[in-house]
Amino acid sequence: MATVVELPRLSDTMEEGVIAKWRIKVGDKVKRGQVIAEIETDKATMEFESFDSGTVLKLIAAEGETLPIGAAIAVLGAPGEDPDAGAKPAGTPAAGTPPASTPATPKIATKEEGAHGETKPAGEPGSGAEVNAPPPPAPATGSEEQVPTDRSQKPAGDDGRVPASPLARRLAREHDLELGGIQGSGPHGRVVKADVDQAIAAGTGGAPQKPAPAPAAATAGAPAAGAANVERPAAKVSAAPGVPGAEADADGRPYVSRPTKTIKLTQMRKTIVKRMGQSKREAPHIYLTTAIRMDRAMAIRAELNLAVDGTKISVNDLIVLACARALRKHPKVNSNYTEQGILEYGDIHVGVAVALDDGLVVPMIRFADQKTISAISRESRDLGLRAKNKELRPEEMTGSTFTISNLGMLGVESFMAVVNPGESAILAVGATNEEAVVDNGAVVVRKVMRVTLCSDHRAFDGADSARFLQTLKSLLENPMALFG
Amino acid sequence: MAILQIRQAIRDAMKEEMLRDERVFLMGEEVGHYNGAYKASEGLLEQFGPKRVIDTPIVETGFSGVGIGAAMCGLRPIIEFMTFNFSAVAFDQIMNNAAKIRHMTNGQFGVPIVFRGPNAAAHMLGSTHSQAFEPYYAHIPGLKVIAVATPYDAKGLLKSAIRDDNPVIFLESELMYSVKGEVPDEEYTIPIGKADIKREGKHVTVVTWGQGVPVSLKTAELAAKEGIEVEVIDLRTLRPMDIETVITSVKKTNRAVVLFHDWPYGGVGCEVIAQIQELAFDHLDAPVLRECYEDVPFPYADNLEQLVLPTPEKGLAAVKKVLYRG
Repeated sequence: MATVVELPRLSDTMEEGVIAKWRIKVGDKVKRGQVIAEIETDKATMEFESFDSGTVLKLIAAEGETLPIGAAIAVLGAPGEDPDAGAKPAGTPAAGTPPASTPATPKIATKEEGAHGETKPAGEPGSGAEVNAPPPPAPATGSEEQVPTDRSQKPAGDDGRVPASPLARRLAREHDLELGGIQGSGPHGRVVKADVDQAIAAGTGGAPQKPAPAPAAATAGAPAAGAANVERPAAKVSAAPGVPGAEADADGRPYVSRPTKTIKLTQMRKTIVKRMGQSKREAPHIYLTTAIRMDRAMAIRAELNLAVDGTKISVNDLIVLACARALRKHPKVNSNYTEQGILEYGDIHVGVAVALDDGLVVPMIRFADQKTISAISRESRDLGLRAKNKELRPEEMTGSTFTISNLGMLGVESFMAVVNPGESAILAVGATNEEAVVDNGAVVVRKVMRVTLCSDHRAFDGADSARFLQTLKSLLENPMALFG
Repeated sequence: MAILQIRQAIRDAMKEEMLRDERVFLMGEEVGHYNGAYKASEGLLEQFGPKRVIDTPIVETGFSGVGIGAAMCGLRPIIEFMTFNFSAVAFDQIMNNAAKIRHMTNGQFGVPIVFRGPNAAAHMLGSTHSQAFEPYYAHIPGLKVIAVATPYDAKGLLKSAIRDDNPVIFLESELMYSVKGEVPDEEYTIPIGKADIKREGKHVTVVTWGQGVPVSLKTAELAAKEGIEVEVIDLRTLRPMDIETVITSVKKTNRAVVLFHDWPYGGVGCEVIAQIQELAFDHLDAPVLRECYEDVPFPYADNLEQLVLPTPEKGLAAVKKVLYRG
């Protein structure tokens, strides 16, 4: 691991020093005790003998520069080692490794890389083990002027536990900060009170220790899951500091109490409130659930993705197509109740609910019954992406005649949805999971997906709903029919 | 208020208690005609006569045992060890008789006795005469252990020790008998089991006792020059320990160093640290450190002895380390 050489205290009264002259250059091999620089103190110019051995990876301080005691002046290590290893992540962070709270220090190109790439180990006896040890993964430094030192590195413990003082832990808990997102300034990267205080003051403290749940795109891919911003910048959990409350646990430690907050309604939220409220108040909902065996649909999807270049069809795309075909066969479901009569739509525009951070939108695939599976897939992905980026045009979100809401990627087995005003049915799609089912008297493992058709009883009845589901089930269990 | 040395404060405490209670008597080597090896019993033989100020042969087991027996019979002996190093010879009497009689007789007999004398290293006395005995005695249920660092504390606590109905180990220091300080003219006692905050501060708590007190106070002075405010807590009583005062301070400073004249392994320093981590775990911002003797038999040579002792400079280094300024 690279060792940072710090400006030493060479006299009792010395507070800062000037590098009068470097006696080493990048690439040199330094032995413990070797004079590496001449340093001007308040009293005299003195020779600085290295405390460490290794190859000079970098000279941080320039000759003539005035520096405080302890300032990083050079980096020693193994040849070819990244001198900034202490200042930025050394490799791909493992799952659960928190993202850095601030961008990493820009990497400084080092000229010596390669040029002095001797194969001899750089470490001298007595220091070799440390010099040659692989650099541990380290998070970015908290601020730009911070130098990469051993103290700024966070050891990658096998258990992923962040080193922190008990006090820092308690403060982080009280302020809803994740320790993993706070740069520790204590020994071995220990997070101490000052670091938590700084994070609180900066308002930057902490990223969630666990990444947001990754959509299970492989089993229940949907536009919402497709190219969605899985890598969202980590958000702070909450800004509200906690205070010890009146109630305490069995050990007498008070529970942390936090204030209730009022979140202002966004325009999108207001629209959802209005439309969902209206639907639930006016439309008598009925819900019918059926289990669909998806083995063949999954197989054909995989085959299509292999066979057709550039295609990445999701399960949801197949459901969109199957719904569109089923709607053509059961036009009653593609409708809307009005006081003047039931509107039975001639066109089939299938809306797909896309979850956003602060609500949801329903862009649609127009004339879905007349489109190929690849066209539906392309459109669906494009709409999903633009929905996340809030780039959808209003006309892309108005005029759907039927809606699909898929929460399968979040592991939901089945659920009930609220009919979109202007339509009379919405299909709530659950996850596709392997289940033990009875087939011809034998228990076998099958991929099963549950869908619930949620519909407005004023427009059509339970039996109509059931017949639609029968067709849908048949199409998805015999998916070749979709391509007939 | 009078300015007294610790030796005078101890003498006055014994004198006042002997005047107050005729059951109180002093026994030990050279306590009478020689006025005490460190002159802590000056004038007492003259005032109270040889029946109450008794010179003994050099036989600690014997006079400790006689003292314990006298205490069981209703007297209130003060046993002076010329140094606590010699109490090792009397250890069985103290551990198995003084500490256990009340328990083993179900309270039929008590042992109201005080064992007092200088403890820990003085200067160039070699390894067998430079030992701190508080861990041995504080370890034993049934004993109370006191260590004093000022004339005021010495007088007030010795009077309480003499009046206590249980055996009390009262630790002084050869190097500190001439330490001067104010002592009230009027009668006073200091309750056993109460620590004293010798200096207030908000950055680091230094817990100490006995000879560690002046070192800690000098540490605090050095730290103050660097803007670090050290709170110095003198435990005064090591058993029962006033952990409340320590915990209150640690909850304020979030950092602690235990500085004492004794070896690091086991002992009172470890007890302090164990209780801090148990009672103030969520308030600690750094591990609690010890500053004490090096873990070696005490050297005789002056230069080597200096290396083994805790010093204000070493104390400062520990203080800075728990502040992450090291």
